Amino acid sequence: MSLTLSDTSAGGALQRASLLVWGATLAAIVLLWIAAGRLGWIADPADVFVIPIEGWLSAFVDWLSDDLSFGLFTFRDLTRALAWVLEIPLSFFITILSRGTEVPLGAERTLTLPPVPWFAILFAFVWLCWVWGGRRLAILAIAALGYLVVFGQWGSAMVTLSSILVAVPVGVAGGMALGILAYRSDRVARGLTPVLDLMQTVPIFAYLVPVLVLFGFGPVSAMIATVIYAMPPMVRVTMLALRGVSPELLELGRMTGCTRRQMLWRILLPSARPSLMVGVNQVIMLSLNMVIIASMIGAGGLGYDVLTSLRRLEIGNGLQAGLAITLLAILLDRMSHAYFAYRETPRAQRRAQGVNNAAMIGALLAGAYVVGLIFPALTIYPDAWVIDTSPFWDGLVTWINLNLYDYLDAVKTFLLIYVLVPVKRFMLDVPWLAVALLLAVVGWRLSGLRLAVTVAGMAAFIAFTGNWEKAMVSVYLCGISVLIASTIGILWGLLAARSDRAYGIAVTSVDTLQTLPSFVYLIPVVMLFQVGDFSAMIAIVLYALAPAVRYTAHGLRRLPSEIVEASRMSGCTPRQMLWRVRLPLALPEIALGINQTIMMALSMLVITALVGTSDLGQEVYIALTRSNVGQGLVAGLCVAFIGMISDRLITAWVARRKAQFRIE
Amino acid sequence: MTQDSPLADNAAAPPPDDDTPAETKLSCKGLWKVFGADEDRARRVIQGHDGVIGRDALEREGFAAAVRNADIDVRTGEIFVVMGLSGSGKSTLIRCLSLLLQPTSGELIFDGRDLLGCSEKELIDIRRHKMGMVFQHFALLPHLTVLGNVAFPLEIQGVSRFDAEERAHKMIELVGLGGRETDYPSGLSGGQQQRVGIARSLATDPDLWLLDEPFSALDPLIRREMQDEFLKLQRMLGKTIIFITHDFDEAIRLADRIAIMHSGDIVQIGTPEDLVIRPANDYVRDFTADVTRAKVLSARSIMRPADEGTSFAGDVAPVDRVTDFAARAIETEAPLAVRGRSGRLLGQVDREAVIRVLAEAE
Amino acid sequence: MPIFNSIRRARPALAASAALLALTVPAVAQDYPESDRTIRMTINDWTGQEVTTRLMGGVLEEMGYDVEYVQADYLAQFTGLESGDLTVAMEIWETTGKDALDAALETGDVIDLGETGMEAIEEWWYPAYVKEECPGLPDWEALNECSELFASPMTSPNGRYLGGPVTWGGFDEERVEALGLDFEVVHAGTDAALMAEVRSAYQREEPIIAWIYAPHWAPIQYEGEWVEFPEYTEECYEDPSWGPNPDATHDCGKPRGWIKPAAWAGGEEVWPAAYEAIRNFTIDNEQMGTLIGKIDLDGMPLQAAVDEWLSENEDTWQAWIPQG
Repeated sequence: MSLTLSDTSAGGALQRASLLVWGATLAAIVLLWIAAGRLGWIADPADVFVIPIEGWLSAFVDWLSDDLSFGLFTFRDLTRALAWVLEIPLSFFITILSRGTEVPLGAERTLTLPPVPWFAILFAFVWLCWVWGGRRLAILAIAALGYLVVFGQWGSAMVTLSSILVAVPVGVAGGMALGILAYRSDRVARGLTPVLDLMQTVPIFAYLVPVLVLFGFGPVSAMIATVIYAMPPMVRVTMLALRGVSPELLELGRMTGCTRRQMLWRILLPSARPSLMVGVNQVIMLSLNMVIIASMIGAGGLGYDVLTSLRRLEIGNGLQAGLAITLLAILLDRMSHAYFAYRETPRAQRRAQGVNNAAMIGALLAGAYVVGLIFPALTIYPDAWVIDTSPFWDGLVTWINLNLYDYLDAVKTFLLIYVLVPVKRFMLDVPWLAVALLLAVVGWRLSGLRLAVTVAGMAAFIAFTGNWEKAMVSVYLCGISVLIASTIGILWGLLAARSDRAYGIAVTSVDTLQTLPSFVYLIPVVMLFQVGDFSAMIAIVLYALAPAVRYTAHGLRRLPSEIVEASRMSGCTPRQMLWRVRLPLALPEIALGINQTIMMALSMLVITALVGTSDLGQEVYIALTRSNVGQGLVAGLCVAFIGMISDRLITAWVARRKAQFRIE
Repeated sequence: MTQDSPLADNAAAPPPDDDTPAETKLSCKGLWKVFGADEDRARRVIQGHDGVIGRDALEREGFAAAVRNADIDVRTGEIFVVMGLSGSGKSTLIRCLSLLLQPTSGELIFDGRDLLGCSEKELIDIRRHKMGMVFQHFALLPHLTVLGNVAFPLEIQGVSRFDAEERAHKMIELVGLGGRETDYPSGLSGGQQQRVGIARSLATDPDLWLLDEPFSALDPLIRREMQDEFLKLQRMLGKTIIFITHDFDEAIRLADRIAIMHSGDIVQIGTPEDLVIRPANDYVRDFTADVTRAKVLSARSIMRPADEGTSFAGDVAPVDRVTDFAARAIETEAPLAVRGRSGRLLGQVDREAVIRVLAEAE
Repeated sequence: MPIFNSIRRARPALAASAALLALTVPAVAQDYPESDRTIRMTINDWTGQEVTTRLMGGVLEEMGYDVEYVQADYLAQFTGLESGDLTVAMEIWETTGKDALDAALETGDVIDLGETGMEAIEEWWYPAYVKEECPGLPDWEALNECSELFASPMTSPNGRYLGGPVTWGGFDEERVEALGLDFEVVHAGTDAALMAEVRSAYQREEPIIAWIYAPHWAPIQYEGEWVEFPEYTEECYEDPSWGPNPDATHDCGKPRGWIKPAAWAGGEEVWPAAYEAIRNFTIDNEQMGTLIGKIDLDGMPLQAAVDEWLSENEDTWQAWIPQG
């Protein structure tokens, strides 16, 4: 809140009122703090009274899986049948891409059909990339897939690719269906929005258990978890895209006498296609983000390789497999972008090539397959040619450990003693009622009563489900990490905004950081910084850095050129330009970046529980290993609520700020 | 018909020389459109006042009307222009006439059929076959080619692709876009895009052709060109047209009759000439003030009864505009004879009368 | 569940020993496989367990069963075993899984298939070089003398004991309290994090004291010893008066214990011979340690190590297969 003096009397009155509110709040907080010594429930109601929501949720999922019946079949039968249906395409892809199959010929003999040979798949990819995106993309495909082959990641990558190939269409179709429903019915939309908020903020681990219970173990469950995780953005994008279709086109549809179905398939969806593509891209990226976690419940593939390597502390192997995921993600991302751009080019230009493409790829795959049948040896990339860089990475970490540990340790000790520990003590000391009050007042001042009630209500949920202490540890850990990540991110963003080249470098680095599974650096971080909060903090900072950089650079670069020209004409030095013009105007954008940083930090909480933190993340993780549905979901909801509180407050602040500036 | 005043009243009747009085294609009576949370209550309020309720009275009830008590008869084959500035309710009116918006109250008859009583299915059928609409921002489907866009309404009806495309080809030729069939809308200029929109709206050969500010989004030069072509098309097709515009000059140029709207009310309905000569109020007068009168006034409105035995310098038709014969009238001292289609002498136009019009002195 | 039978992992096992099978077709009547339903064996997150599972799985495949390996969490897998989604979990350790196993057995849907012959050891462990600075070890009473050796800024002046993940249990907080140790328990989040820190310290020859268990590669790769606490008895955990501290339970070391396979009860009727073979499965800590060492230390692919063991110890595993 700004407390600068205002020269108008009305402004002065407002300022006084504002001062009064904040003064009163401060006083109330101090009073609560003092009272907390006597009345324990003010500090943390966990010891006095806990609402047993955990138990209710567990009982509910038990009921779903054991008792709910629709007469002829049970709910569990239904979910199992769904899993069975999804298994068909999944095993199909795994068979042709990775495993091959055996066809019985009569009673005695079987015909072994190998998977499609690696070089055929590689050629097909490169060809498609070349058609869609030209030479640059083709080179990327060669580099990425070549990496998979040469570094021995091919087999696992194909398993991962198979599950992506099924998960993405299912996620896209499901997301679109829900989005269409929400578009058609306001009631559905109203009901769906909070669910989507939760799905995107509740940590994935929290719903792994219910998924396991309902869908069983194995690759299909992993894929379903992936879909649940990757679908919400598609739903949102679909809703927005359909709402964004110009009203004239809707009128056109009605005037030409379209039925509801024609309206949807002939008018709405085709004209919303470019926006829908953004959603598809999101689904692809999020599915790849899930690769590691999905492998915890049986997805196999690259994620499994990363996990097992790291379990054996084979840092180099883990990194190689992790990089394979990153490359796959970047390739698929770029390919989808290129494909959508290609789709937008006139069909006439495409058609001529199109026939050739399909024929070409078909012929290539078929030819290569036959070659593979005749000379099976060709289909396997020789082990001897596989390059293994893992000794180098292992050696590097060992070298750092032996030679730089003392310096790292000094930094760590300093930060722990002077920053982390005091902040943690303070956070654990503040009574929950005071925090709730503060949140409510901030919410009220920023937006109104509604926001105040929402944020205070969420805080109360956390307190009365007995998770206050762990939540505060989470807030402290995330808070410090976000602070560091934002500082680094904004500085980096400033640098990146200076030139196209710097921007390009920043975007690539940030993409890599975001798609490289965090597990890959978790283990080296533990080796260098030991189990504990500090390691967790470093992991969070590394992961959450991305949006701060991206939004800052984007916000600075995107300023209207008129404003830049105007300030240049009024004689701003570059320094003044930055501090007086660019930064203040980019602030809302930067705030959104920080908001995203907070979200990502929260989503890392659960992962850092694997290092050893005693926060909500650990609670979720424990629930997962103990198969305690309720505990996991409640702790997950608490994480989601922390995220939503900060999101709502920041969004309200940005809205206010934008309204002040009247920028859209 | 003899007239004692040169300013003959012809607002409510067809021009005297049209042999058959045209029948009504679309008519609405007491049409209201009120926006608000509770339209049902608005309907009861309006009907409680027998369809006539003052603006203030309605506002006291908490409603604002976009279209108030509109009575319109659109005759077969005429170009009926609804003209109004933004917020006047003209867009709402055309959407009520096509039932894109459900009117709050009133009646709506199309080809003798009560549209408000139609089921959704019947409406779909009427729209598919009897109505065509052109939109201000073209409303072209970005994923379809020119051909695909024009064939779209036919394909929606279930016409086979072959027939639909054949018909679409004809329409595209008609609007002068032959050869651009495989282009996508994004590759066309605004004028070309609207030609596609026009071709599409005509593909189903509708009886009623609705144009919602079709040329407003175009550059002035292109707009002019499109207006000319529109008139040319209409001479060939003879559709019944409702044309919305905010441009009074455009209205004057195109209209057989104009309805002027202001704040939801229809202020005046009449021929362009009518509006110029006898504006219903100051609002209309303000619009007509800048109109080049020579382009609007016809021979009939400035003629006087012919003097016996005058020798005429030539003949004009009663509907001819002053601009059409001004040169001839000024060249000679002798007046021009105004003759009906059958050759009957209706009156004479004097040189002074023409000069007065050209000098805009009235 | 017949629904899940199309995905199979790790066929190479079959290929490697297919020839072998041809030579050694058992003379006894072929009353197995009794069912073509897939036996789903769980893979947990430590090497030894996977070795055990692949060994047994290899034998079952030799017997003609359709085997699928499913990754599952150690404790979460009981849900699957109860429902029959999962068939067998090869290693339930008394030390960490007894409560979960007991709870599962109580439902009647899970049965225990006897002991594997391996013995689970879990205890406080330190590297050999620590002994130079703290010569009183391995006796637990020496711990307090050198607690500062293990101290970190966060725990100082107490020593820092790196415990296992919270989910492993182990009662270390209680032990520290009962024995009056000047140590603070810090829980690693996962096995991997635990081992990462041990490795890091070992490389630098820093003092460290941590939870290490066997069979595992760590006690093989790293030279070190387990702390010797008063020996575990059941009374120690239940009766305060037992042990050095008369007022507290848990004033002793951790129990050593059995490692058992647990299985879906319904499977007994579907694949009786397979269950019998699993009951007969036996391997000792030494053999298992060697196998784990080959894999985790020498970098041998897991399946290759398993196949090698299978071909070298055919007599051993043939004996597991029930005869007639």
